[in-house]
Amino acid sequence: MPNKHVHEVNPKRTVITMVLFVVIIVIGLVTLKSPRLTYTLTPLQTLNLVSSNSGSVYPYQLDAVLKGTIDTVILIDIRNKFEYSKGHIDGAENISAYDLTNKENIKRLKDLKKEGMAVILYGNNQLEANGPWMVFRQLGFDNVKLLLGGYQYYTLHKNDLAKTKDDKSYILMQPDYNYSEVAKATASPGSDIKKETKKAPVIKRKKKTKATAGGC
Amino acid sequence: MNKNYLFLAILMIILAGGLLILPERTNYTQINPEDLLWDIIQPSRYVTTDQVAKMLIEQDPTLELIDVRCAKEYDKFALPNAINIPLDSILSPNYSDYLGIEDMNAIFYCNDDILADQAWVIAKRMDISRIYIMKGGLNCWIKTIIQPTPPPETASGDEFDQYDFRKGASMYFTGASISAPKSDSKSQVTIKRKKKTKATAGGC
Repeated sequence: MPNKHVHEVNPKRTVITMVLFVVIIVIGLVTLKSPRLTYTLTPLQTLNLVSSNSGSVYPYQLDAVLKGTIDTVILIDIRNKFEYSKGHIDGAENISAYDLTNKENIKRLKDLKKEGMAVILYGNNQLEANGPWMVFRQLGFDNVKLLLGGYQYYTLHKNDLAKTKDDKSYILMQPDYNYSEVAKATASPGSDIKKETKKAPVIKRKKKTKATAGGC
Repeated sequence: MNKNYLFLAILMIILAGGLLILPERTNYTQINPEDLLWDIIQPSRYVTTDQVAKMLIEQDPTLELIDVRCAKEYDKFALPNAINIPLDSILSPNYSDYLGIEDMNAIFYCNDDILADQAWVIAKRMDISRIYIMKGGLNCWIKTIIQPTPPPETASGDEFDQYDFRKGASMYFTGASISAPKSDSKSQVTIKRKKKTKATAGGC
């Protein structure tokens, strides 16, 4: 008797333990919190992606989309409703950046990805859409692309998009100045600066009149 | 031997096999994609060149400027006291100590906004707080701080104040006359008290 394990004395106990064990695991699996959206790219992969410049759409490439020769592309305007209503690229849908991760929009994007459709995001400029584009790329939507130049560049070249192939003015990341030169060139204690300050209006206060008599 | 023991053992082995399909654990914290997008939309993540200039002049101890351009560009020209962390090595362990320092406001900048924005998004995802972008980058820095243009005459007083500040900042940063602003302020701040008018007669 003393040599026997407690479970062997009462086999039912083993069964109860097992049932409890299984129940706990099932509960654990059911309540396991799985995030709605997960990153599929690691930060390092993201870094390589943005350095490779592969997810960008150039304005001249838009030409074929707008003329309908490429119909596997959907344009999404991520600005707010008001800005969208003032003007947008023809055929673009409006999903404001605030709503991009909504349930319906995520589902929509997933469906588009399955159908093999490319999605081009654009904002007023490249910067505005850059963040949302990076988020969706990190979530594994590799069909999402970013329009360089944004809406501003598009409105400037609406009618000659195809000709902008050689125009590089929308390409950012380039210095506009030779910084070190500029920083030195202005180093003379400027003549114009002094002139400007002299122009500043001098406020003359009225002299107080001499002692006033009376009151009230 | 009890059959149940055998069954229990098999169950354990199966569950152990389940460990294989668990998601890979990352050695860094990261924020939810929804929160990341939300943070991206906030305009408060930008600081203006004026704010940066002011912090530099005031020698704000919490300011940490981070130049995300390549080392070659950084060597040619950089903002005072900026640290160079090229974008492609922002995840490198050599630089990890520079990010997420308590009480420090890290401000990314590049030639314009894009590289800084990319660095910002990656750093934000890894839950690094108090990071900002200098809006417009160095191009805007030159345009507004180093070579400010006077506002039109119809502009508001605030714009003139801003222009005056920029002119002063331009002198400060181009090294035109480092002593000038100090002496100026000393000589100009002479408080003149109004002379008291002679005894007034009457009153309530």
